[in-house]
Amino acid sequence: MSSILEVSGLRKVYTTRFGAVQVEALKNVNFSVEQGEYLAIMGESGSGKTTLLNLLAALDKPTSGSILLDGQPLDRLKESEIASFRRDNLGFVFQEFNLLDTFSVEDNILLPLVLAGLSYREMRSRLEPLAESLGLTPLLKKFPYEISGGQKQRAAVARALITQPKLLLADEPTGALDSNSTDELLRLFSAINRAGQTVLMVTHSVKAASHATRVLFIRDGEVFHQLYRGESSTEQFYQKISDTLTLLATGGEV
Amino acid sequence: MRRNIYSRLAVTGMRKNKRLYLPYLATSAGMVMMFFILATLSASDSIESMQMGSRTTQIVLNLGMIVVGVFAAIFLFYTNALLIRRRNKEFGLYNVLGMNKTKLCRILFWETLLSFLFSLVLGLAVGALFSKLAELLLARATYGAVTYHISFQPMAFLLTAAVFGLIFLLLLFFSFAKVRLSKPLDLLKSEAVGEKPPRANWPLAVLGLLLLGGAYYLAVTITNPVQAVTLFFVAVLMVIVGTYLLFIAASVALCRALQKNKRYYYQAKHFVSVSSMAYRMKRNGAGLASVCILATMVLVMLSSTGCLFMGAEDALRRQYPYDFSTTIYYQTGSDMDPAILERVEKAVLAVTRGREKDLVRYRTFAAFGEVDAEGVAGHDTGEYGTWYMMPLEDYNGIMKTELSLAPGEALLYDPQHHYPAGRFIVGDKTITLTGVLDEAPIERPNEELEGMSWALLVLTEADWTALVDAVTTADGREFSLGWHAPGQTLAFHVTEDGADREAAEAAQKALQEMSLEDEDAILYYGTFALSDMRSGYFALYGTFFFLGVLLSIVFLVAAALIIYYKQLSEGYEDQSRFDIMQKVGMTKKEIRSTVNSQVVTVFFAPLVMACLHLLFAYPMISKMLVVFGIDNNSLLLMTNLGCVLLFALFYVLIYRLTARAYYAIVST
Repeated sequence: MSSILEVSGLRKVYTTRFGAVQVEALKNVNFSVEQGEYLAIMGESGSGKTTLLNLLAALDKPTSGSILLDGQPLDRLKESEIASFRRDNLGFVFQEFNLLDTFSVEDNILLPLVLAGLSYREMRSRLEPLAESLGLTPLLKKFPYEISGGQKQRAAVARALITQPKLLLADEPTGALDSNSTDELLRLFSAINRAGQTVLMVTHSVKAASHATRVLFIRDGEVFHQLYRGESSTEQFYQKISDTLTLLATGGEV
Repeated sequence: MRRNIYSRLAVTGMRKNKRLYLPYLATSAGMVMMFFILATLSASDSIESMQMGSRTTQIVLNLGMIVVGVFAAIFLFYTNALLIRRRNKEFGLYNVLGMNKTKLCRILFWETLLSFLFSLVLGLAVGALFSKLAELLLARATYGAVTYHISFQPMAFLLTAAVFGLIFLLLLFFSFAKVRLSKPLDLLKSEAVGEKPPRANWPLAVLGLLLLGGAYYLAVTITNPVQAVTLFFVAVLMVIVGTYLLFIAASVALCRALQKNKRYYYQAKHFVSVSSMAYRMKRNGAGLASVCILATMVLVMLSSTGCLFMGAEDALRRQYPYDFSTTIYYQTGSDMDPAILERVEKAVLAVTRGREKDLVRYRTFAAFGEVDAEGVAGHDTGEYGTWYMMPLEDYNGIMKTELSLAPGEALLYDPQHHYPAGRFIVGDKTITLTGVLDEAPIERPNEELEGMSWALLVLTEADWTALVDAVTTADGREFSLGWHAPGQTLAFHVTEDGADREAAEAAQKALQEMSLEDEDAILYYGTFALSDMRSGYFALYGTFFFLGVLLSIVFLVAAALIIYYKQLSEGYEDQSRFDIMQKVGMTKKEIRSTVNSQVVTVFFAPLVMACLHLLFAYPMISKMLVVFGIDNNSLLLMTNLGCVLLFALFYVLIYRLTARAYYAIVST
């Protein structure tokens, strides 16, 4: 298996405006993601999860260290290339859905394709099977304010997948959902992953993480520990993650 | 300390939102200032002792004051509603934290009171400073027809304070009502409610187009200036309603239609713009329509009053070709005793003592009555007009020409081109027209300004006498002529300012004496001095212009403020959208360019529309100006172009300034 993402020696320091205070959000992060993997990154608030995700999405530049996506170093990308790189290679799902309220569900999903300059027919041919598989077909003409949170998140997933990205990045995707919608979304992620999509999810929900094939734990800006699912069931994996977190919280070493 | 908490909360609230409050306070202070200046000028007691024309000035200024007052009320309501909406979240928070509505109202009370005091004090202070400048400008604009001295007007202070006090009191009640009617949770999230997508309202859009088209049609097809004045208001109302409908409904309808066109819509450069444009127009349509109306008002007002002002001297000269003139009318049938005019002339020349030049004397026969193309004695045409008939000898004398006529022939001066016929029948006499005159330097009848026709017929001495006799002795049934009389005129220019006034006084005195001596000798006489006429003209036109400029400033500032608030609210909305679009894969540059194109479109649509309005208003304005004696199309064209240029410049400046505020918000 080849790694699709390689992160090595990643460090990010935030400096307050007048340089008085420096905050080291990430110290030294190293990990890699294999093709077809479903990786969850866990950590408490302030552990550096969001910083990591911003760096992976090329929304921010690291202080030092490198990120290779499919062999291509992100920090070498020019400012003008970043946006189209992001559009072609990465799909995003956010906690707050981030649908544009001026667009119908259909237009929201098509947005990345429109930006990429595809013809309408091509867009439709990609949209139809995707919308069908995500159960979005009856909702396509609706507007974000007319549908539930779970439905919005499914639309956001469809928007992320329609470009057929190399890597799907999810930032607390279940954070704003009720438990039914959460279950539904996690089943969806698993299904997508089984179909071959590489997924990287940042979360602090044990339940969400227990669906992944591997879990990384971040604490104070460093990868602290990792767990492989192996042959264990979702319930067993849930227990393992939970135990690890307890250990982390009580300050023990694994 | 505790007692002060509400006032302190009010102050911090306003300070925290200074981006919103500063322009609001500045504008309301500006309105106070304008109102105060107008109040001071129109209440100035020195006006009472002024010459003719000052009353007109006073009336016009009073009207302007009322316009400013009403406009200030509407405008402050509009901006206040906007401010309250922005601050709902803050109030919601206070409410959730346990501050009941009565206490919220106390904060509002302090806010309104402070805003009122601030705008009143600042407005009055600056107004007092500027009212002297305004006096000087007005005096200049009216060429000293009204001369002011520095005067302190306690009444103006009181009136301004009372009017704005009332406006702010109403604002306060309005805010109270808003807070009372709302629920705390609504207050908290009133800015973030999911918004329904705008729907195309085709009937309204079509109605808007029809109204605008109808108004344009009216404006272009009007021929009668007097009719134009009334129809103008109809057209203005139609344009206002039409503009609102167009901006609110038709713009959304257009966006929806574009969205239906898949090939057009699903392109990177149209996709985001078209869909968010529909929302923008739905939210801002009314504001933009207001800006458009204000812009149109400014353009129409500035260009027409400017044209009036600049064309006034021309109009004056056209109406009164000589600096001094006196005309004596005699009883019909009398043979115009030449001694009378001689006596007047002697009296006048004794006063002018050589300061006169180009002295002329001429005889006219004036007849007022129904006329038609066939002649003076037309029947039942319903159109009234004034006829002047002059012997050729007198015309040649005035014009220093050597024209000649055969018996039965005549020359016609016909400024309105009412009489295309080649002959005229008066009684049993037929006169053949042999030529058209380009000039007739006689005093014009006031009827011309009311759109009635008048013409001058130049005949041979014999025909003139015969015609006068024919009209005079004719049976009333045959000639539906009303008033008619033979008259003699003495007119000249003067070489020194004021000599015309002295001459007019002398003539007046001599004529009065003669009327007393022999009641039947003179039927009627009229005397004028150009200086008097000029001060009358400029008192009116100068004040119009002055007021036009003042009101234009008020409207411009209002338009600028609407634009500013629009940019701010758009900025807050676009902030989050910016973020999403970036994550979905748009470069900052792309986002900036789509957003920029929308902002520019939204911003300049009112300007383009206002210019279109002005273009169609042009024929109407030009006809209405004729009523005021201005018949100079190139001057009107120049003032129009000048105003549009000036306005566009100002508009771009506002855009630059407000765009900066917008990007400051979006890029954080």
